[in-house]
Amino acid sequence: MSSADWIAISPLIAVAAAAVVVMMLAAFWRRHAIVAAASMIGLAVALFCVLPARSAAPRMVTGLLAIDEFGLFYVGLLLKGSLAVAAVSYGYLRARGRDAEEYYALLLTATLGCVTLAVSAHFVSFFLGLEILSVSLYALIAYTRERARSIEAGIKYLVLAAGSAAFLLFGMALLYAEYGAMGFAPLAKALKASGGANVYMLAGMALILVGAGFKLAAAPFHLWTPDVYEGAPAPATAFVAGVSKVAMAALLLRFLTQLGATDSRPILIALSALAVASMFAGNLLALLQRNVKRILAYSSIAHIGYLLVAFIAAGPMGAEAATFYLAAYMITTLIAFGVVAALSPRDRDADAMEDYQGLFWRRPWMGGAFVAALLSLAGIPLTAGFIGKYFVVASGIGSALWALVLILALNSAIGLFYYLRSVVAVYARPGEEAKAADRAPGFSLAGGVALAVLGFSLILLGVYPAPLLRLIQTAIASL
Amino acid sequence: MQTVWPLFVYLAAAAAVPAGMIMVSFVLGARHSDRATGEPYESGIVSTGSARLRFPIHFYLVAMFFVIFDLEAVFLFAWAVAVRELGWAGFAEALVFIGVLVAALAYLWRLGALDWGPKPFARLSHSRHKDS
Amino acid sequence: MAIGLEHYLVVGAVLFALGLVCCMARRTAIGILIGIELILNAANINLIAFDRFGTGRFDGQIFAVFVIILAACEAAIALAIIIGMFMNFGTIDTDVADKLEG
Repeated sequence: MSSADWIAISPLIAVAAAAVVVMMLAAFWRRHAIVAAASMIGLAVALFCVLPARSAAPRMVTGLLAIDEFGLFYVGLLLKGSLAVAAVSYGYLRARGRDAEEYYALLLTATLGCVTLAVSAHFVSFFLGLEILSVSLYALIAYTRERARSIEAGIKYLVLAAGSAAFLLFGMALLYAEYGAMGFAPLAKALKASGGANVYMLAGMALILVGAGFKLAAAPFHLWTPDVYEGAPAPATAFVAGVSKVAMAALLLRFLTQLGATDSRPILIALSALAVASMFAGNLLALLQRNVKRILAYSSIAHIGYLLVAFIAAGPMGAEAATFYLAAYMITTLIAFGVVAALSPRDRDADAMEDYQGLFWRRPWMGGAFVAALLSLAGIPLTAGFIGKYFVVASGIGSALWALVLILALNSAIGLFYYLRSVVAVYARPGEEAKAADRAPGFSLAGGVALAVLGFSLILLGVYPAPLLRLIQTAIASL
Repeated sequence: MQTVWPLFVYLAAAAAVPAGMIMVSFVLGARHSDRATGEPYESGIVSTGSARLRFPIHFYLVAMFFVIFDLEAVFLFAWAVAVRELGWAGFAEALVFIGVLVAALAYLWRLGALDWGPKPFARLSHSRHKDS
Repeated sequence: MAIGLEHYLVVGAVLFALGLVCCMARRTAIGILIGIELILNAANINLIAFDRFGTGRFDGQIFAVFVIILAACEAAIALAIIIGMFMNFGTIDTDVADKLEG
């Protein structure tokens, strides 16, 4: 490896080193504030390393990692998301008040898995990144181990994620058998040379889509989502929903684009089926829920459905729409779960609708941020979610996917209902009881700053998306 | 097939010997059923309790550490096979790898996961009290 | 008769099916975990066999080593969570843990 290679992968090395440093701090200098600060500094250093890495791009490092504008854009996005999660976690874990230090080491290893996924261009780095992410997430989800729900969520996620990873691996083995290659680029070459789809290729791709669809929580592989979102501690849920899905989607985008898989009719049909099922399952089941975390879970399933429409839309326009949508989705999700984390008392998470009754009058800033997140999820103008949805619809129309766009519009209308129901609750006059119980024990200065920055970017992207769009265009052009 | 037949003869003989022993002792042997006949023989000491007992959680920890650290050796073997081709760069990478493992071991030691005694994780709970 | 690629693939496929059945039929968390390990090892057999009879570039074998390590890490975390489950629920039967709706 040359020195340019080292510079190119410096963000990954920084995250990995930060994980080891945080583990050592947890062993020798066990102070929550110091460990939290160290992990945030580590993530910030990694974020800073993206700049020199960009000057070294594009470059294949050891055939496993493709450091290009696309990968680095997602690395930056994931690191920012992880930084926000770390900031939000601090207040939440302080309120819980016991062994919080290992949480940050796990958060950093999970981030390492995410950024590995974002730049991987080979089956080995794909599987390695996925498993680093999954194994860290098992522990993060079950972290509040004195709560039975948290442990139960951990078991559910463990069983299903490990099963789907095994499927994914078997799919990789089948593709390797047929084409004798594991890198995405050699695989694409072999695929072209063999002249189209055959049984091995389709079976392998189907198994890989099952594994990826599980991580993204696309219906019908979404069964774990509401339970895990409800049971996991709120900051861990924020990471699962906001950061890990973006990483998986980035990998899938690269994989499908490089393989030219969207030219293959059976794969397009499979993706369309996933999209339609996710949109309907997410939105219709969300209508039945009263628990805020479960509503957000079903809403995230629906959003993956919208995202898949952009995946199906061919060409750079679809990839750009998907990338913008993912950025908007990540910001929105992190705000929503960040507010949940800030409001959560010591022994449970603030997930009942009553916890949000009149939040706006009690805590205007936090209530405002929560409402902005809900409106962005619903796709109301002046929010990032609206611009994202606009691009997805535009890319769908550009590829003449009329049926999918129609279903998307219909589902947005259904979604409006439950988002606005939650918004109404936030604006309702708080009862005396809620006023008396008004506390935000999980709130910290770091978390507040993170929420403020996220909220500001949410509105900024909704009003003035041009700079981000230019960045995304250069990123997609490198793919 | 011609060359395999001694193997079958050997197998048959191997089966016949223990079968014959059991048969002969069944026919000729004395039968009795005393108080201790059905009990397992443990060097003359009367056994107590059921075999399905719970082991202390510490055995699990030690087993897990063994599995994890033992498997990491696989990478070192792979490196050892190609050590000359990889040169100093490979050596440095192996050092970093071992360094991370040592850091993990230091973490386990500091937490008291390696202590063997009635109070595992004593250090962890100590620092917990200090924090909260 | 020489043992060729097909034999390995059949073993791999049988192992995959056994693992799948084990995942679905078992109710204890550890039983399910064993099933998942079987599927991972089925994929491993396939990878190594394809490498040996196909490309011969060792990439499949190295991948298999990575998979073995990751499976061990997964088992370590999984057993820790299962112990947490036993402490909370008093059992490791996955049907009993249904505090979450759905």
